[in-house]
Amino acid sequence: MPEVLPDIEQDSQTDSRSDLDPGYLVICWDDPVNLMEYVTHVFQTVFGWERKKAEKKMREVHNLGKSLLTREGLEKAEFYVHQLQKYNLHATLERDSK
Amino acid sequence: MKLLRVTQKKFQFEIDRTEKFLLLHVLQLYPAVPASHHRLSKDRHIPNREENQHLLDEALKAQRSERRKQVESLLKDPHRFVEFEDGYRVSFTREEVEWLLQVLNDVRVGSWIAMGSPDQQTENKRRLTKQAMPHVMAMDAAGFFETSFLHAITGGTAHGHE
Repeated sequence: MPEVLPDIEQDSQTDSRSDLDPGYLVICWDDPVNLMEYVTHVFQTVFGWERKKAEKKMREVHNLGKSLLTREGLEKAEFYVHQLQKYNLHATLERDSK
Repeated sequence: MKLLRVTQKKFQFEIDRTEKFLLLHVLQLYPAVPASHHRLSKDRHIPNREENQHLLDEALKAQRSERRKQVESLLKDPHRFVEFEDGYRVSFTREEVEWLLQVLNDVRVGSWIAMGSPDQQTENKRRLTKQAMPHVMAMDAAGFFETSFLHAITGGTAHGHE
């Protein structure tokens, strides 16, 4: 008896490749208003990083003008940007051009 | 504002009359950051960029509404600040400190935006004009309380600007 496979409906709205590929960058930009300690705290809270790593990333933002915080698929990268912006950090989502 | 005690559930502070007045004043200024301030991306090639920007706007709108309710509830609570000698004692849970930090930082950033986003490293330096004074005071007061709360939750020394 032949095996009957269910029909697979293609969803033209979903580009699963772009959703899942870790091709999106979460970047935090320097600004002259957020307190350094606050930025460190937010990194720890949002990403669950240890204080040392959070401070390192905060100093990158401060000294270099921006820091690449993480590289993720689209959905997760968007989630992180939402969380960072809820704390009023200047964070954006950018496509990884590499 | 001085941290008196930390338990598993609460942070207890001593706060003098002027500080209490300032804290309540700053909290009343929430929300201060304009809704249009937040941009999801600088990249034009992000898929569904407009739709995703809309989702961010909606998420932030919902958060502002929730935070506003929390602030109003705190401001109306007659038992929150307990009078003691020359000032008050006030306790906050860890969760409350977390959203208070968000609220205070919103007022800080919003006041900075209202001043024209000054930057001491550029020609657009902060100037103490009559128009800027309320924003300068709100920004600095918000920063003072942020630092106090951060000091309490980190157990260290919170200082410095970005």
